[in-house]
Amino acid sequence: MLDDGHKPSAPCPMPRCCGCGVHALSRRNVIRAALAIASAPLLRYMPAHAASADFSEVAPGVFVHQGRYEVQSAENGGDIANASFVVGSDGVAVIDTSGSAKLGAELRDAIRAVTDKPIKYVINTHMHPDHVFGNAAFKEDNPEFVGHYKLARALGTRKESYLTANEEMIGKEAFAGSEIILPTRGIKEPTKLDLGDRELLLEPQPTAHTDNDLIVTDLKTNTLFLGDLLFSVHVPTIDGSIKGWLAVLDEMGKRKAARVVPGHGPKTMELPGALEPEHRYLAAIAGDVRRQIAEGKTLAEATKSAGFSEKDAWKLFDQYHVRNVTAAFAELEWE
Amino acid sequence: MTYGFNRLSQTLCAAGLAVCVIVLAATPLRAGEDLWPVLKEQAFGDRPIAEEDGMVVLETPQKVEDAALVPMTVRIPPHVKDKLKSLSLFIDNNPDPKVATLTFGPAAGAGGERNFSTRVRVDNFSRARAVLELEDGSLHMASKFLAAAGGCAAMQAKDPEADQDGLGKMIVRTFPPALSSNPIWAGQVMIKHPNHNGMQLDINTAKFIPARYIKTMTVKRDGELVFEMDGTFSISTNPNFRFTFAKGEDNDLEVTAVDTDGVEFKGVSKRQGGS
Repeated sequence: MLDDGHKPSAPCPMPRCCGCGVHALSRRNVIRAALAIASAPLLRYMPAHAASADFSEVAPGVFVHQGRYEVQSAENGGDIANASFVVGSDGVAVIDTSGSAKLGAELRDAIRAVTDKPIKYVINTHMHPDHVFGNAAFKEDNPEFVGHYKLARALGTRKESYLTANEEMIGKEAFAGSEIILPTRGIKEPTKLDLGDRELLLEPQPTAHTDNDLIVTDLKTNTLFLGDLLFSVHVPTIDGSIKGWLAVLDEMGKRKAARVVPGHGPKTMELPGALEPEHRYLAAIAGDVRRQIAEGKTLAEATKSAGFSEKDAWKLFDQYHVRNVTAAFAELEWE
Repeated sequence: MTYGFNRLSQTLCAAGLAVCVIVLAATPLRAGEDLWPVLKEQAFGDRPIAEEDGMVVLETPQKVEDAALVPMTVRIPPHVKDKLKSLSLFIDNNPDPKVATLTFGPAAGAGGERNFSTRVRVDNFSRARAVLELEDGSLHMASKFLAAAGGCAAMQAKDPEADQDGLGKMIVRTFPPALSSNPIWAGQVMIKHPNHNGMQLDINTAKFIPARYIKTMTVKRDGELVFEMDGTFSISTNPNFRFTFAKGEDNDLEVTAVDTDGVEFKGVSKRQGGS
């Protein structure tokens, strides 16, 4: 069926590459960037970090790469968010493109290792750099770039600062070729995209993680791509509305899905359990901050204590937590 | 410093929360150059300023997490008995280094710790300063270095629609002291206002969103002046102020703010239960 367009997977070319990553899946289902090494024109995409283009087929025709639990750096090249693609009988849809044009090119190579079908859609689940800077690698495919209808504004206003900051963090060479590509199609109402024998359902969300979160469902396998509405292990980051996010999580908890793909976390998780730690984290902040506001405490005081019960439950807590509390305080004080 | 710098920029940027490490275009001079002599001359002429003499204390976060929302607190310790004349806040390397100037009135209070807090944008690595003028005309300064960048040009509203909702809404609160013998009360003013600085690009028009910010604010207690403030766009979106004032009869605060469009916003505090 779907595997029509799939090229047979080659065996692991190097012993050491079989030691990396989580491989309960069969080799057939594991596509490696290392495959590309056999192909001379692709050499220019050789990753500095060998595991970066590991993709697993988590359901028939659904491939996911897991980013690292880190902030962008020269060492990880911006490979910190999950990126996925879905293969239909007519074409391919990419869901998030990772944090640089180079990583986007590796993702494209991974797609080409599986199928020759045209890449019809490049979907971004939201605006953040670690999910969009790989878009540039797909320009030659002339796909529709698809996102929430507020994505264009969000990226447009942040373009310069995202470029400057990410080049600074990732390094000039590794970031080369990265650019902000605005969506050519904005999604305002639930919309289906046809990939041939399979449809993707795109659902724009109210302000939550950001003001431009889009949920993608592969209806064929009932796989939900939640983007950064779902963090696991990596502490959630609030760049929209904590109230909105908690409300969206309540809605998500009512859904049934075969699996969900987080924006940061393992390749797949299950509902509703996947949502619980994140809900607990956000609820802890909201609860503490509301109580402190009611007690007349200041923002500065709140940033020293609110939500600290969650400190040991997450990676990157020290990097993001205080700013989460700051965002929550500035929002909740207007309730 | 290198560690702090990297960590900071990673922290801010990796969240996708806009940070410019260097925003030269919006910065009058490079961050390394000391602007203070010029600013000082403009604001205070050749008057002497006592530095870090304990008459005024400035609190800023050790690590700035959100350059668009940096809490800044000025405390005047209880041992300072003099009446206050004015308080000026500066962020040297901001496009407009003057954050706010407060001119105090008869209801500013004395006889305990007096303080003033707000939240500011920080555009570049910069020194933040608080210069206090006492009734005798003496000037006293406290300063802190802020390792934050990108708060002015780069930082965008998380939800622009939400920011426009209820523009001009004002919340005014009073907080009686823990000890009823304390002659100093605390107050808070929150104003729903984008405080646009004219440096944020509107993608739909490809033009900068025109500057619109709270320019003056007057706070009175029972009709007597607590302070008058001249503000700039260095104050964060949804301006937020905490301050102290002299205990009065009713302790009702009345606040009038005017933005650069000439629009006036008014608010009054709710009476504290039982007082």
